[in-house]
Formats: sequence, C-alpha cells, structure tokens
Amino acid sequence: MDAMIILQMILAGIGGAVLYTLIGIAPGTDETAVLAPVTIALALSGVSPYVILAFFISAIVAKKLTDSIPVAVAGIPGGVMAAPMVEHAMVLKKHGLPDVSIKKMASGSVIGTLVSIPASFLIANAILPYADVISKHAGLIFFLGAVFLALMTNNKILSLLIIVPFAILIQGLRHLYWGLEIVPPETTVFVSFFLGITIGPIVVTLFDLLNKDARKKIPFLGKKEISVKKSDKVKGIPNPFNILTKKESATSALGSLIGSVTFFLSPVGMTVFLGEFLTRHIKDPVKRASRAISTMDGLTNASYISGTLIPLIAIGLPLSPMAIGPAAGLFNAPPVFTPEHNIHHILSMSEIMLATIIGAVIALLITFYITIKFASEICAFVFKYIPHEALIGLFAGLVVMLAFMDAGWINIFGTFLIAFVSGILFRNGVNYGVMFMILYAAPWMLGWF
Amino acid sequence: MDKQEKEFVEVWEDNVKIKDLLIAMLLCIGLSLGGYILAPGEAPQPLIFGLCGGVIGFIISSVLIKPKRKITYLEEEE
Repeated sequence: MDAMIILQMILAGIGGAVLYTLIGIAPGTDETAVLAPVTIALALSGVSPYVILAFFISAIVAKKLTDSIPVAVAGIPGGVMAAPMVEHAMVLKKHGLPDVSIKKMASGSVIGTLVSIPASFLIANAILPYADVISKHAGLIFFLGAVFLALMTNNKILSLLIIVPFAILIQGLRHLYWGLEIVPPETTVFVSFFLGITIGPIVVTLFDLLNKDARKKIPFLGKKEISVKKSDKVKGIPNPFNILTKKESATSALGSLIGSVTFFLSPVGMTVFLGEFLTRHIKDPVKRASRAISTMDGLTNASYISGTLIPLIAIGLPLSPMAIGPAAGLFNAPPVFTPEHNIHHILSMSEIMLATIIGAVIALLITFYITIKFASEICAFVFKYIPHEALIGLFAGLVVMLAFMDAGWINIFGTFLIAFVSGILFRNGVNYGVMFMILYAAPWMLGWF
Repeated sequence: MDKQEKEFVEVWEDNVKIKDLLIAMLLCIGLSLGGYILAPGEAPQPLIFGLCGGVIGFIISSVLIKPKRKITYLEEEE
C-alpha cells in the first residue's frame, strides 16, 4: 500500500463525511436506499476497494451522527434508525433542551463508534475459525435467516409463505434473461433486483398517487411545518466525554458493546429493546430521556459498524441485516465484487482495519465538530434548499440506470416488477430483511426442485 | 399567516407535490439513463456519465422545485 492510496482513502473519507452529513439530515432517507446504490456504483466504476471501504465507513459514521439532528431540532427522524429516538428527543424538546439532545446524541454516536470498531475486530477473530463451515453452507444460512426474520415480522404467516414464491420470481427472471440470451449464463443479475426491493414501498406509494380512487383516500397536506431552534454557539473543540455524564458514557458504551455482539439481529429492534431496558429504572423524565438518546445513538452506530465489519472480516458473506442492506455493495456488486471475491478476500485484516480507522476518524472529526457547532444552521439549509422531490428523483434515476446496466431495457421492467411486488409485500408486513435474505438464498432454494 | 392550499402528499416522511415529483423523476431518470447510453467510451465510462447525469438532474430539480416545508425559527427562550 503506498501513499497515493492512503491519500485517496483520506479524500474519499472527507467526501463521504460531507455528502452523508447533508443526506443524513434530509428527513426520511432510508439507509439502504441512500448508501447501497452509491457504494455499488463506486465499486462498479473501478474505484479501489480500499477507497470504497474508507468512503463507506466514513459515510455510515457521518450519516448516523447526523440523522438524529432533525429528530432533536424538528422532531422528524432523518432516517429509519432515528425513529425510535423521536419520543425521547421530544421530551427534551418539550423541556426546552434541543441543543442538549443534539450534543448527547452526537456524543453517544462517538462512543458507539469508538467501542464498536475494536469490538468488531475481536468478535470477527473469534468467529474466524468457523468461517469456512459458515460459507460452505451459505445458501442454507440465508434461507434460515429468511425464516428467522420472517418469524420476527408483524405478518409471520405471509412472510413464511412468500419465501418460495419470491425466490421463484427472482430466479424466474434470471432464467428468462439467460433464456433470451440477454445476459451470458455466468452472469447473475443481482444489483438491480436488490435496489428494486429497496425502492418497493416508494413505488407502490407513487402508483397509489396516480390512481384516482386511491387518491381520494390519501390525506392531502399543506407544507410540512418545521420549527428550528437557534442553538447556542459552542466555543472551542467539543469533547464528547465532557458532554455526557459518567453514567451516560457508561450506558452508551455498554449498549454499544451489546449492539456489536448482536450484530446479526435487527438494529432497530435492538435499539428499541436495549434503549428502553437500560434506562427503564430512571425516574426523572429529563435524565431518563438524555440517557436513552445517548445510549440509543451509540447502539445504532455500533450495530451498524459491527454489522458491516464482522461479516466483512470474518466470513465475506453478508450475514447481518446491515451487511445485507446498506453495506451490500461491499459484498456483492458483480462483476467487480462477488460472494467469492469481495473486500473480504481482497484486503487483509490489517488493511480493512486501516481503511476503517481512516474513514471513521475523518467522519468523527468533521461531522462531530460540524454537528455540535452548526446543527441548526445545516438543518435550516437542508430544509430550505433541498427539495424532497429531487432526492427521490435522484434515487429513481440511479435505480433505472443500474437496471439498464444489468440487463438492458427488459430489466427496467423486470426491476419494476420486483419493486412492485416487494412494495406490496412490505405494505403487508413482510420486512426488507426477509426479502433480502430470499434474494441471496434463491439460487440454492430452487435447487430443491 | 397566508392561507395554505392542501395540495401535497406525504412520501417517505416528507411532503411533496405530485407534479413536481414527476418532473424531478423524469429529469433524473432521463439524464442518468441518457448519460449512460450516450457515453462514447468503454466501461466504466457509461456509469460515470450516468452518475453525473443523475447529479445534474438532482441539481436542476433542486433549482426548479421549491421544498414544501415551512420553517419557523424559535429564538432562545431560556
């Protein structure tokens, strides 16, 4: 590894931190939808894997630091993962303390990052001896993962019943493309199907809007009302350990550690469960809320980082909700990365560690500083100048382009089909995790018949 | 306070106008797919053209379309 690569990693880290500081603040941006296409596009355009990893780590750290800002400032989550924190942030906002909640959340995030990186390397090392066994039975494991996640959803029966039909849909399209000689037999269309699942819910919502009957039932709204509170200026360089009380630091470190160990479980589920469990005993509502948000923010950060790093270091297969969703591009972006040849195989453990540390440190330095100093200014900028329509448009554009790239015009329709089916399933209580697991397990499962 | 017309819908936890959303989607899809197809060189050039097209579409739509958010600033109360 030479100085050029390290310089590129640093630049990629800066780019990722700045870009995802802005995206993190934009309300309602789903982690998978905003991180996966960009990572996949970078991988496919031939960027060095070191640079991609540094970019990705910086992007998740930055996004996780900032997606809680709109929660504190305006009470709307900046991402799916920030949703569980709204309730506690509202308690602080009601007591006139939104600044406090931003600082506490951002500091919790820093602790989550600092705890989870070493923890991930330790856990990955512990799993390493079993890696061969695990990857030999990957198809079975993804299938069991789909069953396990299906049992966790709100609609268990549909989630279980849909496993085989959804696998048929995916493999059916692949065999159709092979049969029509649109893609060569050694190419497995993956990226566009993955993105199709991701944008499913939004596609279904859009077509509801175009349906006259359904439109009558949708509530039409005025402008989204957001009140932004001007924050106090902070002097000097903020120190997360001074912002948090000792007890808060300790609980967020503990939460982050547990979040790292449970890397294979749903991060949102763990955040809600542990966030409540670790703070239930506190009576004073303000103290409880500030302990809860610092812990939850640490935990989400930790589960994201460990969910990416542990499978990446130890196995090379996306065996966590995080790896199968937002980080999917690091594991599978054919033809550049495949389950047999991805960042796990290309980089050594110390190289993965180096790229991770570069990405994380840059994101922490830039984003933590910006977050604490200019939280309300950035929020106001994003709310005022970035229309939500443009963000949705950009992701639609990326998905259509990548669909065309995978298998030509027919695949734009194929991806649309997958998106529409996934969206309807999602609306009926089948979550992303189940569908992503099926996507990975499909070739193995159809070997049964 | 001016009278607000209720003409927006909620998509992905924020309010949008259907017409503006369609404009933004057409712009971004057109420019990214167009960039991909029209790029003159070999791989990975089409992808880079396509990505740039998408970003240009994003910028144009940001200029053309006003966000549907109403921001009120609260002064320091303490």
